[in-house]
Amino acid sequence: MNDWVIAIIKVVFIWVWTLLVAVVMTWVERRGAAMIQDRLGPNRAGPFGLFQPLADGIKLFTKEDIIPANANRILFILGPILFSLPAFSAYAVVPFGDKIVIAGKEIILQVSDVNVGFLYVVALGSMAVYGVIVGGWASNNKFSILGGLRSTAQLISYEVPWGLALLAAALVYGTFSLREISIAQQGTFLGFLPNWGIFRQPLGFLLFIVAAYAEANRVPFDLPEAESEIVAGYHTEYGSMRLGLYLFGEYVNLCTLSALMVTLYFGSWHLPYLNMEAFLGPISYGIASFLVFFLKVSFFLWLFVWVRWTVPRFRYDQVMGLGWKSLIPLALANLFVTALAIQLTV
Amino acid sequence: MAKPVVEKRYTLSERIYLVEILKGMVLTWRHFIFNFRASFRPGPHTVPTCWQYPEDRREISPIFRGEHMLLLDEQGRELCVGCGMCAKACPAQCITVKMAKVPEGEEGRYAGKTCSQSFNIDLLRCIFCGFCEETCPKGAIVLGQGYELARYTPEECQLGKERLISNFRDAKAKGTLKPPRKPVPVAGEAAKEAEEKGSKAKGTRTGPATARKAAPPKA
Ligand code: SF4
Ligand code: SF4
Repeated sequence: MNDWVIAIIKVVFIWVWTLLVAVVMTWVERRGAAMIQDRLGPNRAGPFGLFQPLADGIKLFTKEDIIPANANRILFILGPILFSLPAFSAYAVVPFGDKIVIAGKEIILQVSDVNVGFLYVVALGSMAVYGVIVGGWASNNKFSILGGLRSTAQLISYEVPWGLALLAAALVYGTFSLREISIAQQGTFLGFLPNWGIFRQPLGFLLFIVAAYAEANRVPFDLPEAESEIVAGYHTEYGSMRLGLYLFGEYVNLCTLSALMVTLYFGSWHLPYLNMEAFLGPISYGIASFLVFFLKVSFFLWLFVWVRWTVPRFRYDQVMGLGWKSLIPLALANLFVTALAIQLTV
Repeated sequence: MAKPVVEKRYTLSERIYLVEILKGMVLTWRHFIFNFRASFRPGPHTVPTCWQYPEDRREISPIFRGEHMLLLDEQGRELCVGCGMCAKACPAQCITVKMAKVPEGEEGRYAGKTCSQSFNIDLLRCIFCGFCEETCPKGAIVLGQGYELARYTPEECQLGKERLISNFRDAKAKGTLKPPRKPVPVAGEAAKEAEEKGSKAKGTRTGPATARKAAPPKA
């Protein structure tokens, strides 16, 4: 088979898959929220309300597309695109399984194994803030601009602990390639723990997950769209499918961040204490590794929802204080200790 | 006087948020699991706080003030004498009554000597205050339990005599008629009565206390 065809199939597959997950996530979020709040949530459209996202999609598509009179038209249109595109692209370097052997050809379950995959993800993560700030700016609305500004300040603050946590992880694995990091997590650590990143970098994981919630603008750090303060923040003026793109981009972002967490800290496609490759056939191993990976990702997706409906929103100064006064010193300490440990053991 | 400010000292575990967040997550998880399980049980009313409206309706208090009805007595005669007191009392001025003498040969249909030739309530204006019911000297008009009053045209929201009486028949068939109201005692009598009852009636509440209870989940 042609390498090109394989690459295109992989791209299309992961695109469709992420889209599907994002769609289902909107439903999970609404029903999960309802159940946590002693309600039922949308349960009328289809079995268990599963077709609700379709109904929402139809609604968003058929709504009137309004561009405010004094908005900057070009930037206004560009905003949602700038927001959702990086979210999708970041998925390109995340391995979603080990490898599958079809007709004697080994296919790696990853769109492309870039050797600086790590940096690519970080760079694209910071790109997403453009969508927010551009959308907020172009709307010509005070709440939007406030939302955009908050988002920028928040992202810049949390990029630092995020990057430092990632750096410590890179030190441990000695590589920037996400696939190599995944492979390195096989086996056991200290003889009895699965050899996962979380056991080597517990503090790093904590910093990473907190920063990830801030990066994704999720509760408790959803200040850019704090409903009770600034209406809907940067997407106050957006409606119809443009708003849809923003909401959708957020869920794709969650997928990417969850996948990253699993890849870095939760052993990617490995099961603890079990080497699936040893007793599964080449094709079933490929599928199994994908499923294991996805199972872990879905746990983190659910965690996003769960935390959202548990924790109240932080005050703005608390967000900044947490970022600069706690996370960054902790991240620096973590980096220092990790480097020291590696120096001493190697 | 200003409220005294209580300085709360947070413990270390509270200040690093994590423990408290985990505690909160355990709590929300319990709620989630409870409702998750409940939502799988058959039947419409499985999550205790949710009434799945069209299939599953709340129990309505017998003194609920909903759609009006005009009562008939045991012989099936209209009680209303068309005096128009209700129209006078109505704060929204949505009742129109025309009084007429009972026509010859139709005495069996009406309880009084006079009757209402036409009777109309504009439900679009009605505020369901219940004053009409309170003023009616004959106890002929009563607010029932019907609350699904949305219609497609304003004409359909006019409550005519036919609908008023059929509302009564439906309510009687369903057994949702409220018990007849006790006549309001005149001021002097009321004071005497209260004195007589004195200590023994103190603190005891009359009235349908059971109706306040929410409908139990039909598990
Ligand atoms: S309903 Fe009562 S108050 Fe109204 S017209 Fe009839 S008798 Fe009079
Ligand atoms: S309930 Fe009140 S507003 Fe409605 S018809 Fe009776 S008196 Fe008028």
